[in-house]
Amino acid sequence: MEFGPILRSLLRNKLGVLLIALQIAFTMTVTVNAVYIIDQRSERMARPSGLDEANIFHLSSVGYGNNFNESVVSTEDLALIKALPGVLDATVMNAIPVSGSGSSTGVGLEPDRPETSVQTAMYTADENVLNTLGLNLVAGRPFTSNDVRRGARDMDRTQSTAILTTALAERIFPGEGMQAIGRTIYNPGGGAIEIVGLVERLQTPWAESSFIEQSMIIPEVVNDGSTLYMVRTAPGERDRLMMEVEELLAAQGHERILRNNRSFEETRENSYRLDSVMATILYVVIGTLMFITAMGIVGLAVFSINRRRKQIGTRRALGATRPAILRYFLLENLLISGSGVVLGALLTLAFNMFLVQTFDMPRIDWFYAPVGMLVLIILGQLAALAPAAKASGIAPAMATRSV
Amino acid sequence: MLKMTHISKVFRTDVVETHALRDFSLHVAEGEFVTVTGPSGCGKTTFLNIAGLLETASGGQYLLDGEDVSSLNDFQRARMRNQKIGFIFQSFNLMPDLNLFDNVDVPLRYRGVNAAERKVRVERALDAVGLLSRKKHLPAQLSGGQQQRVAIARALVGEPRFLLADEPTGNLDSNTAEGVMELLHEINNNGTTIIMVTHDVVLASRSARNIQILDGRIIDDRRAQPKAA
Repeated sequence: MEFGPILRSLLRNKLGVLLIALQIAFTMTVTVNAVYIIDQRSERMARPSGLDEANIFHLSSVGYGNNFNESVVSTEDLALIKALPGVLDATVMNAIPVSGSGSSTGVGLEPDRPETSVQTAMYTADENVLNTLGLNLVAGRPFTSNDVRRGARDMDRTQSTAILTTALAERIFPGEGMQAIGRTIYNPGGGAIEIVGLVERLQTPWAESSFIEQSMIIPEVVNDGSTLYMVRTAPGERDRLMMEVEELLAAQGHERILRNNRSFEETRENSYRLDSVMATILYVVIGTLMFITAMGIVGLAVFSINRRRKQIGTRRALGATRPAILRYFLLENLLISGSGVVLGALLTLAFNMFLVQTFDMPRIDWFYAPVGMLVLIILGQLAALAPAAKASGIAPAMATRSV
Repeated sequence: MLKMTHISKVFRTDVVETHALRDFSLHVAEGEFVTVTGPSGCGKTTFLNIAGLLETASGGQYLLDGEDVSSLNDFQRARMRNQKIGFIFQSFNLMPDLNLFDNVDVPLRYRGVNAAERKVRVERALDAVGLLSRKKHLPAQLSGGQQQRVAIARALVGEPRFLLADEPTGNLDSNTAEGVMELLHEINNNGTTIIMVTHDVVLASRSARNIQILDGRIIDDRRAQPKAA
């Protein structure tokens, strides 16, 4: 290997080498941090909501006439919906997970001490909520019809039951979350809430929330003018039933508007649209930077080879085989790329520290820098391959030509 | 050592066909010092390129050290150049970014010689041309004559049996050229076969054998009379 002579030769031509090494370092810095951001966003988007997402849709009913009785209509509607073939279950809720809109409250172990409370999303629903959403009950029992209170919202001082997510239970009872069944917690108004069940997961309505896994379901159907139906269907029946349910409810002739007939998947996709767009933009930035860097490497290699055609011919005359010339230029590129990625690794960590301090982002995982180095080295070798192959094709007779 | 029989070389483009060598036959015995002269464009460099395995002939047979080189592939030709042939070029062809040691070291690296042996051989070759003390210098820090001496050291470091020199004094003043010629004669006296292409008829006349080429053919092959005892 000609490591020593190549290194010494590069050190005598610092400027071009330095510029391309800096370009590689900059590309690595931006790429690694961008990939890290994309990974974080992708992880966020991939978090399970706890619902049977593929088979759930929702529909809102808003009454406007004087004769519209929300309580009666919603009971009738649910009966009609459940009677449709393909519908597994349906319920009335106050909010949709990860939709961006819902209610939150604080719950604690002592009444009238809101400063000690733990923040949680609060869903209200009837006794069919677990089956309708496809939630996994890991302890306790589901709601019964006796648990459910119906009417206007005024529950602060009222005794109630609740089903909590395990994350919320663990937060309220650290280390004893799974033993929370039967214990009592209190809402900010001092109302006692008996925990009757725990579900594995139910995300809050807010994808950005810092307490996204902390949710509580209260068995309550509130009549506040707008009814949100959640419907779970058999696999593959959702899209058909979305149309059928809307047509069926519309045909009842009530003085109301039916709106927001959407699948849960669509609602979730809308909530994460910003993440998705940002990931796409970052992919474009990464691709562009990679392309520009690769072109820079190609440009430097082509320039360097054209400048040294006679030298290459001389090396061939002195006994260099074609593979030896190929190796020479790939090794030369490896040294340039290598210095670039080492500098890039340092810049990557520095830039990440800046992001951590400025935007409160989590620290980058240790393996991103070495993987980034490897990718940039491979990119450099691939970019240099064609010019190096061309160089290896220079005839040894070039040594005796007057060029 | 070198035997060419009816060698021809034709360069073809879409519109023109150039016969650089025609029916070119030559036998050079081991230990000879042969100069090749002729006007520009007569085929001297083409002959040198074919003799040094830098180009292939269009026809005829070429035996180098008893081996028919016509059938060798590119890899084998590179190996044979490295092991049997030393080259000296008119413009020295040193690598400007490498110091003298690294320049002379180039053929040995391609031969796969280990570092310790390379060091011994490179320093011996540089010492032989009187430039060992300047082994860390760059070519640009030397005069033309010194650069050609480095090129000679590079040609000799692999201990080739056959040395090809393309106008080795063409870029040197007469005094420096004289020194280089003395060095080449010394190398020849040690048993290395040398073929030297030159424009300089005076230098050519001092060699034991001179070949004149015109239009790709040998028109004269003259050997000097041995001096009377």
